[in-house]
Parts: sequence; structure tokens; C-alpha cells
Amino acid sequence: MTRLEERLAIEPDGTIVVRSGKVEIGQGIRRSFARLVAAGIGVPVERVRVELGDTATTPWDMGTFGSLSTRTDGALLARAAHFARRQLLDRAARRWNVEPSLLAGENGAVRGPDGRCATYAELAAEAPLTGEIRDDEPLSVPRGPADGTDDGRAIVTGSLRFAGDLRTPGMLHGRVLRPPAHGARLVSLDDRAARAMPSVTAVIRDGDFVGVVAERARTARAGLRALVAEWSDPPPPPQHERTLVLRDDRDANQALAAAAHAFAAIYELPHVANAPLGPSAALADVRADGATIQAATQRPFGVRDDVARLLGIAPPRARVIAVPAAGSFGRNNSSDAAIDAVRLSRAVGRPVLVQWSRADELHAAPNRPRLSAHVRAGLDANGRFVAWSSDIVTNPHVYFGDLERLPDELVAMTCARNAVPPYRLPAAHVAVKIVPAAIRTAALRSLSAAPNVFAIESAVDELAATARLDPLELRLHNCDHPRLIRVLECVAERSGWARRPRGGGVGLGLACALYNDTYVAQVAEVETSPRIRVRRAWCALDCGTVVDPDGARNQIEGGIMHALSWALVEQLPHDGPRVTANNWDDYPIARCHDAPDSIDIVFTDDGHTPPTGVGEPGAVPFGAAIANAVAAACGVRRRSEPIALAK
Amino acid sequence: MTRYVLVVNGREVAVEAPGEASLLDVLRDQLDLTGAKYGCGEGKCGACCVLVDGESLPACRQRLADIGERAIVTVEGLAAGGELSAVQEAFVEENAMQCGYCTAGMVIATTALLAKTPTPSGAEIRAALEPHLCRCGVYERAIRAAKRVAGGGR
Repeated sequence: MTRLEERLAIEPDGTIVVRSGKVEIGQGIRRSFARLVAAGIGVPVERVRVELGDTATTPWDMGTFGSLSTRTDGALLARAAHFARRQLLDRAARRWNVEPSLLAGENGAVRGPDGRCATYAELAAEAPLTGEIRDDEPLSVPRGPADGTDDGRAIVTGSLRFAGDLRTPGMLHGRVLRPPAHGARLVSLDDRAARAMPSVTAVIRDGDFVGVVAERARTARAGLRALVAEWSDPPPPPQHERTLVLRDDRDANQALAAAAHAFAAIYELPHVANAPLGPSAALADVRADGATIQAATQRPFGVRDDVARLLGIAPPRARVIAVPAAGSFGRNNSSDAAIDAVRLSRAVGRPVLVQWSRADELHAAPNRPRLSAHVRAGLDANGRFVAWSSDIVTNPHVYFGDLERLPDELVAMTCARNAVPPYRLPAAHVAVKIVPAAIRTAALRSLSAAPNVFAIESAVDELAATARLDPLELRLHNCDHPRLIRVLECVAERSGWARRPRGGGVGLGLACALYNDTYVAQVAEVETSPRIRVRRAWCALDCGTVVDPDGARNQIEGGIMHALSWALVEQLPHDGPRVTANNWDDYPIARCHDAPDSIDIVFTDDGHTPPTGVGEPGAVPFGAAIANAVAAACGVRRRSEPIALAK
Repeated sequence: MTRYVLVVNGREVAVEAPGEASLLDVLRDQLDLTGAKYGCGEGKCGACCVLVDGESLPACRQRLADIGERAIVTVEGLAAGGELSAVQEAFVEENAMQCGYCTAGMVIATTALLAKTPTPSGAEIRAALEPHLCRCGVYERAIRAAKRVAGGGR
């Protein structure tokens, strides 16, 4: 039930304005949406203005995650554009008393066969365009390279303002004290030194919340450093746990016992940090009649509701505007910086900008849960799966709610994503136990999918080795998804899977996944001496029709780099509830020297299947591809990340 | 508080701040030049790099008192008369960015490299970009952008 008038309007100068509650976080949806709308209504792409993520002007949206934006809102706006074009054609047809089918809507105007012409703007001025956008409205995706309508020029000239770059008259800088360990409570606070600093405007304390406000970021930091706080030891985490059984075929154990080739192993993934390059930031202006918050957020409507709850006001009185943010991959689902800024602004009655420090971002932001998977699998003598069993333990991958009260579907969607292998499994047992973590956890790019696929796709290779089968053949032999088969065959061909030499410290590894209806297969070529390095990467991906080929490539390259970083570099050090990393030295991520020499990406796009997502799938199988390549290169199998040869 | 005169993007500007204030804080809070980003405050991510007499340095590690007469160029100062520099143009052409938070630093580092070494090797480009972290993973594109300017082909 979506109304055209909520999504699209034509301004007097002919600009097509479209609205979505999604946010732009570097994934390129502004460009993709503009392109879809331009094609749908018939205007040059620069005539489209895409308004995103503002609770006062765009429709409600749950949040920008799950590689869903193009799939849902891109498609919706494309259909809205097509619907609007139909209405414009009808209006011109009535005006000229001709059949609409004789008219064409292109380049911002309707043209008749006799050369008559009416601009969209003048036709739209007759009356607002309204109506229900129907699902069967055609969805046309433009072909060829995308024109640049993105923020590139503003980025390279430094004029694009990220949340932490906002400056407004009367604004103060705020910094907030973080507990040294997750769940620690404030026992005592001596703020005399901070209050005595002339450059400090105010020290605000409200329960465990302590913040310093000052004219400059530098003096706010100095004030924070002058606070002397004593914190309690955090209580042990609550002992509740939750188990989801996704498949529980009674004969799985028997089938495993009778398998011609059987294999069992445990795979383990550590906590990793979201660690966005730009720490969380927000600017809040709280007044008697409401609040305006400009935030780096993936969830403006969620922030609005959190702010309204805090202030005890109706949600419409809090306006949240998503502003440019450092790529955050789930981190900015939380309302952290926005809530900080609101509390400080409310206390001092002026706009306050809060930006977290790097140390706080590492200490106190949510992290990817740990995950361990005990996998048992068996093949018959012909190389077909007879059974699969995974017992998985992880922590909450959700950023909200009480784990005990969340509905099963939501827990499955987040904490058990990609837990079931995409293969033909006559019998299977897959169970996911979710236990609390000592440190804060929530979503990171693909949630539990990348860890689960690391376990599954490593195990498939190990099983192939046990049965002396080619890893590609084993996958193809056991797969019923034609589109997954196609990306596997395609990546094999592109990478020269059958003929490329292995051994002597160089190896190829393959892995694949079916992630939220996107099919992805990847090959890594690694060398293992003097250190593990990915030389080349190949990826074949089926995301339906590709909307912006270079933008999609960029996302997949980024996913591959992210997964490479998890696989070879990242692991968050912590001592129980206390994260011990303070800066990038303690929490390294992949750098330029880690980048593969080349990343080959091919889309198996049939040109008519509706688009799915590309933001996360590229990061899902690549860790297993690396682990499999390392095993092929030097015979050493690692079942945990980060993968290291010296242990 | 001391009064300092800096040369920023070709213009003399006066600022009042303690000598131990970082150049990054002064640029961002007192000169409204927010192109250099705060990423870590310890010179370990490259997001705040600016040209200091042609050398790419993290502004968060430069003390105001130590700048003296050295010329500071921030990412805002690279486009002469509204025309993008060759490096900026190449980053746009290669779409060598996603969120753009690391881009200013990478553009500055590439500018410094090419001013000294107009036709750098692949290894020299990687070395110049090595101090720059990118969470979106555009490293390969940044290398391509540098090669494009250097005429090293695509």
C-alpha cells in the first residue's frame, strides 16, 4: 500500500523529486535510485532529485541494512516513476483528444505524433499526481554505465559535510564518558577540575551518563580528561539463552553414521569490531517545542523513536535527518551518538555536536558476535550428501530488543542467517544457540552469514578432500539452484579453475553462497610465503538486473576487502567485558598492501530478473575461499579467523 | 592563547589558540575547513592528512606552534578556480570512493607523491597509500586513480 504522492512529485521547473527513508552511506543508492527513476519516467538523470532519510519529509523506513535498498525502494521508485509517466501520458492524451498509446514520454515531455509537445511540469501542474503504486507496474532497468549524479565532486573537494563536520551558530562540542567495561556502573565522579576549566561550558551528569560541553572539540576533550571517575566491576552477563532449531530430521545421525565419506570439525570466528573510519557522530538541537537531530545513522526513524522516548515527546516532534556518514556496515544502526547529543543539548539549551573518539568507538561500540559451528557431514559413494549437521553457538546479532522476547523469525533472520547450507541435503540437523556475550554485540555486514558460510564452505572443501573430489564438482553435484550453479561455473571459468597451477605455496580456493536471493561464487588465489597474501580474486554474482554496474562492482570489491580483512587481520582483543584495543595499532584492518593485485567481477545478469542486493553478498563467502586457498597452497587447514600459519 | 599566523591554501590566516593545539583542531574548529577528517587523533589512519610544504602529514599530529611559515594545503585548496586537480578528477573518474571519509587523505597523499615522483611504480603508489585506512575497501581503485594521473595506463 504505497501512494505515489508520498514518493514522487514534479516541481515547476521539471525536477522529479523522489523520496525514500533509506540513507546513503557510500553504497551508492542515491545514484541507483536516480537512474531507475530517470528511466522509469523519461528524464535525463540529472533532472532527478533523490531525497533520503529524513523523518519529516520521507516515508517511514525500518533501516538501511540487509542489502535491501535497491531491491525494495529502488524497485518501488522505479514503479512510481513509470506510474507517473502513464498519468502524464493520459493527461496529454485528454488534452489533445488522442489515444495515449500514440504518445511518447521522453526527456521530460510528452510528444504526440504530430509534433505537439507538453512538458511534464506543465502537465503535472494540472493536479497532483496521486494513486496507489501497483506491484505489477513495469520495472525497467536502464542498461550501460551510470552517469555521475553522486557526491564524488563534493567528496574530493572536501565540501561534503559528514555528521562530525556540521557547524551551526551557537553550537557546542560535547564529549561523553564511557565505562571502561561493558555494563560497568559509575560509582563516583570528581568533576571539580573539569568544572574549574574556563573553556568548559558545563559538565552534565545524569545517573551513569556524564558529558562535557565546551566551545571547541579540543576543550571538550580536555574537560573529559580532567574527570576522575570510579566504575564498578560489571555484573556477569545475564544467563538467558535461546536456541533455534532450523532443521531437525530424525534420520540425520543415522545417515551420518552410514556415510561412505564422513567428516567433522569445529570452526570458530572471533569478535570483530565494526570500526568505521569515522567514529559515530550527531548534532542535536533540543528546544522546548521539539528536537532536530542530524546524525550519522542507518536508521533515522529508529533514532527518532529513541529520542522521543528519552524526551517524553511524540515522535513527530523529533526530526532526525540522516547526513553523510562514514561507511558503517551496521554500526550506525545504534542511536548512540544521537542520544548523547540530545542529552547534552537538552541540558545546555544549545545545539551540541558529539563525535566519539577512536578509543571509545573500539571500547564501547557493538561488535560482531563470536560464532562457533560444530559441523558434521557425510557423502555417499557417488559424492552426494547423505546428511549435514551444524550445532552453532553465537551471540545476539540484533541491535535492539530483549533477546528473550524477540520473535523466532527475527532471531532466525539475524542470528541464524545462512546457517543452512544451500545444497541438497536429504537429512539435516541445524541448531543455533544464542548466548549473551561479555562485550556489546550487534549487526555487522551480513550478520551471521559470513561466519556461517566460513564454516560451511570450509567444511565442504574438507569433505571434498576426504572423498578425493574436486571442490567445484562436489558443489555442482549437490546443488539444485540453477542460478548458484551458473555463478559457480562462471567463476570457475573466469579463474581458470581447472587448469591454473597450484602447490608450492600458491593455491586457489572456492566458496559460494546464496544470500538474500543474491547468488555469489568467489575464488581466491593466495600465496603463503613469506606471509599469506591474496594475489587475485574472482567473483561471479547474480543479483538480478544490475542497476549501476560500476557502483555494484565497487560494493563487491569492498565486500571482498572487508572479508579479506576479517580472514587475515581482524580480531578484537578483550579481557572479559573490557575491550583492550585503543587505536588502530591494537585493532589493525586490511591496508593497501593487503589489496589483491586484481579483482575480477562478472555479473550473470539475464536483463529481466528484478534486482536484489550487492552490499553484503560480496563479503560472505570470501573468507572460506581464502581458507580453502591456503589449504590448497600449503596443505595447512585453518578452521578459525584470522587465518595465520604460525600457531 | 597565542596568536599564530598560518598560510593555509595560499592565504594568511590568524588564529588564537594554545601552541599545543593540533593543526587538525584548528582547521576544523576555527577555520571551518572540515575536509581533513578526524579518524583517530594519533596519526594512524591518514584521514586528516594535509600538505605541509608539499609533504602529506596527519594534521592531528602537527602542533600549531611547530607549523611556522610552512604552507598548509588542505583538500579544499586543491581545486584551483573551481577546476578539479588532476588527482581529484582521477578519483572521481575511477569512482575511487564509497563513503568518502578517507578520500581527502588519499587525494592529498597521491598529490604529494605525484609532485615528487611524476611516474611512480606500482610499489611506490602502494607505499604512498599505505598509511591510509579505508573501511569501504577502495584501495585498488585509489591505486588506479594514481596510475591514471601518472599516465601509467588503466
